[in-house]
Amino acid sequence: MKTASNESGLSPIWNWKITALSFALLFFVGILAVSFGPVSLDFLKIIKTLFGLPGGLNGQERTLLIDLRLPRALLAALVGAALATSGAVYQTVFRNPLADPYLLGAAAGAGLGATIAITSAGADLYSLLPIFSFFGAILAVLTSFFISGKFFAEPNSLLLSGIAVGSFATAVQTYLQQRNSSSLRPVYSWILGELTVANWQVVAWSSIYIFIALTILITVSKQLDGLMLTDEEAYSLGINPNKLRVIAVVAATLATATAVSASGLIGFVGIVVPHLVRGITHRVTNRGLLTIALVGASFLVLADLGARTLLSPAELPIGVITAFVGAPFFLVVLRKKRLVSQ
Amino acid sequence: MIKVEDLTVRLGTKSVLSDISVEIESGKWTCLVGPNGAGKTTFLKALLGSQPYSGSITDGGLEVFKNHDRNVAFVPQHPQIPIGMSVSEYVMLGRSKRDGWGNESSASRKLVAEILKLTGLFGMQGQYVSQLSGGEMQRALIARALVQEPTLILLDEPTSALDLHHQIAVLNNIELLKDRGVTIISTMHDITLAAMYAEKIIVMQEGRVLLSGSSDSVIHSPELKSAFENRINVYTLESGRPVIVAKKER
Repeated sequence: MKTASNESGLSPIWNWKITALSFALLFFVGILAVSFGPVSLDFLKIIKTLFGLPGGLNGQERTLLIDLRLPRALLAALVGAALATSGAVYQTVFRNPLADPYLLGAAAGAGLGATIAITSAGADLYSLLPIFSFFGAILAVLTSFFISGKFFAEPNSLLLSGIAVGSFATAVQTYLQQRNSSSLRPVYSWILGELTVANWQVVAWSSIYIFIALTILITVSKQLDGLMLTDEEAYSLGINPNKLRVIAVVAATLATATAVSASGLIGFVGIVVPHLVRGITHRVTNRGLLTIALVGASFLVLADLGARTLLSPAELPIGVITAFVGAPFFLVVLRKKRLVSQ
Repeated sequence: MIKVEDLTVRLGTKSVLSDISVEIESGKWTCLVGPNGAGKTTFLKALLGSQPYSGSITDGGLEVFKNHDRNVAFVPQHPQIPIGMSVSEYVMLGRSKRDGWGNESSASRKLVAEILKLTGLFGMQGQYVSQLSGGEMQRALIARALVQEPTLILLDEPTSALDLHHQIAVLNNIELLKDRGVTIISTMHDITLAAMYAEKIIVMQEGRVLLSGSSDSVIHSPELKSAFENRINVYTLESGRPVIVAKKER
């Protein structure tokens, strides 16, 4: 078949088959993740149960799938998609390949919020931890915005004030922990990232925010390519770069704050996944944002499977897995594909 | 005809452009010349709408930058070069406004291929823009502007990074636009080149228009020398072509 790309000799900017493939990957990885564990579940029965077909799982196995493994896999997917997408968006907005979702103070703000929740009321308030960390993250990023002031003229000033706000929040957090040493362990384990708290309630509220944020980001994703150029070039291509930057940063921050409050700090996903997708596809265009979200989801679902099963019955912090597996894999791609070109 | 009336741009307390009123003919090449800091680039940014201003820049009664049907291409002096983006992706960005962001018509792809051939970049479409030489990058910028099918093109020092051979090649590419009825406004340091290509020259100094008119009249005007504080000489070659050179100072 003769296609338009053959006629012109140019390949298309984005091949949507890649997106379809990453959908399939996520589905496969998802089934894999809910199937493995101390008790293995049958693939076919899982699919039948999920689609409400006869011949699905019953009794304890059904409970295990519906109440434990499924919400956990879904939360991993949501968090992975949120972190990978916001990472990619921050990298474009700040024209910095090393920008990650936690850069604007979201991580430190969330950490401080969580510490306050744990130290001020101990176990009683543990259920409020996500709310505290969510507002901690939002507040920290808003403060960075407010302090930098010059975001429009110089996007990097926001990065700098994010670093300052982050350091301040970390300092307060450390002080609180010193005053209340019993909080050290729960705060530390939360910081390493955990999906053990996953239940349908957490999945429900986090999916709302992440869905809204990702819908916004994927809607504007095509225009985001214009932010890789100077503002004048963006204007001439019919984009208002200032407006677009604000929309992108606000939505990416909403996604990050939600992810961080649902699961703690899971590092590396926001940097590795975007570069991985861009490196393998040889495409930096933000048209690949949906694919980045899907691969981010798959990556974290797999990492969580590893966290649950590698040292079973003990559980590893998921952040350890993402970095332990992600870093070497990333380095291989980095060397092979020369992502950072001169 | 683009009518510029009382165009003023202030940055803080400083006036970068003061009360500029000129007319720019459609379908012609107008060149802005003048020493560094004269406000040439700011003038271009105002035309583009990225620089807020007072006064008006209208065409047929409509403010140029608010007229979204109008396609204004911009070739910057210092482009932001996206890491990891291929030449064809980069040039294809020029089609975004016409196709709608994210859509990529096969007609666009055909046009991009055609323009890549015209600018001598075909065969390099898979290369990263970050790996292009100065001259190739400049041609990629021009190619992107060409595929925009603009009605107005603004070029900020399109030849400053190029050697002599490439300067002429790039300027010839720009001249092609004139045949398509595109209005061209450029800034240029090299007044000799400006006189060779542009029909009209506007001489600027400290945010004001010192003189404007046909290239020939401007070049031979005594005021041109005063704009450059008498640091230039104008010679005429046997062919009648003017050459402007800086005076050697000790």
